[in-house]
Amino acid sequence: MRSATDIFDLWNRRLHYYLGLYFLFFLWLFAFTGLLLNHPGWAFAEFWPNRRQSSFARPIQPPPAGGDLAQARDLMRQLGVAGEIEWTAARHDATALSFRVSKPGQMFEIRADFGARRAAVQRIDLNTWGVVHILHTFTGVRVNDALNQRDWILTTVWALAMDALALGMVLMVVSSFYMWFRLKAKRRLGAAVLAAGFAACGLFVAGLSLLG
Amino acid sequence: MRAKRFYLVVRDLHLYFGLFISPFVLVFAVSVFFLVHAWVPFSAGRHGTSRKAAALGLPPDLNRLDGRARIDALRPVLDQLGVAGEIGFVQHERAEHILVIPVVVPGRETTVELDYLPGSATVTPQVTGVAQALIELHKSPGPHLAAIRGNWVMTRVWRWLADATVYLVLFISASGIYLWTVLRAERMTGLVLMTAGAFSFFGLVYALCH
Repeated sequence: MRSATDIFDLWNRRLHYYLGLYFLFFLWLFAFTGLLLNHPGWAFAEFWPNRRQSSFARPIQPPPAGGDLAQARDLMRQLGVAGEIEWTAARHDATALSFRVSKPGQMFEIRADFGARRAAVQRIDLNTWGVVHILHTFTGVRVNDALNQRDWILTTVWALAMDALALGMVLMVVSSFYMWFRLKAKRRLGAAVLAAGFAACGLFVAGLSLLG
Repeated sequence: MRAKRFYLVVRDLHLYFGLFISPFVLVFAVSVFFLVHAWVPFSAGRHGTSRKAAALGLPPDLNRLDGRARIDALRPVLDQLGVAGEIGFVQHERAEHILVIPVVVPGRETTVELDYLPGSATVTPQVTGVAQALIELHKSPGPHLAAIRGNWVMTRVWRWLADATVYLVLFISASGIYLWTVLRAERMTGLVLMTAGAFSFFGLVYALCH
């Protein structure tokens, strides 16, 4: 009969590789795009200079009076546009509304004139490198930006996927500590390697601000 | 015999590389929660006492420089002031002949207001906290202000460490797949989970992009 420790060992090990296998593709995406974001000079991954732009104007029905978000959603429905709304400027005129709609690979700059019953739309399409770049940072919110909130259901789902991946990574790290500690023969060298990692990382997290 | 040896070497490398990068993985993982929810706990920055300095030795034509040349010219001035860190976007207030220079160390931001006509400066430090430090490290050096980023040696060291973390994560995930395939009893469950993960990932990316 297995002891409680054996059962815990087994499920701790399973948790480690089950999480790793489930999140494999998410991890590869964020690891690879992290590398790309750290090296903006890598020419092969350029996407902004290679973007395709087009503009068009469409007649619109002025949306009913209401909040900016409700009016923007009404306009998006009329224009057949979906994505995360981004407010680029404060609104000063109740008869006009300007905003950006974005999703990985596409952006729409929309300027609606309710008086003229027309909307001018600039569409930007990005290549595959642009798509993977934006997936890394596509959260709908920014620190120190109170103007913008997540307002598209798929952005929320993607943000939850990011949370889940981060939590999965934390659990994988914790489970790996336990598995290593159970290997008595590897404890000494493992402790040295782990201490080196914590020292190098700790220098940046807290050491530099304390030393300077 | 050779296969057994290969297995043991891969298992050891998986273990030791994993242990070394685990603190870095924790930094990147924990900061995700702050970035995804635009939430910075304990972020009420504590301003330190401002101090003033005069009679600074300034490089000629400092007011005419821009971009990387200006950053390089400012570094010796900051050394005189005893301020170290990554120099961010410098604001030039020409009418007041002042350069406002943000200097960031993870967890601390110092603002230097340099009046280049008399050669004086006001230095104001601000403690921004551990959560902000994690965010800065997650985004550093990053894609923005590429021409001036990495102007502090420790930012360049961090870039190297962040890159190394990515390469080792890729190695660890590949070696982890190999170690899993050796465990025959776990192959089916693992395959189901990997397939479920692939469907979740590609399904979500497809929905976001179309």
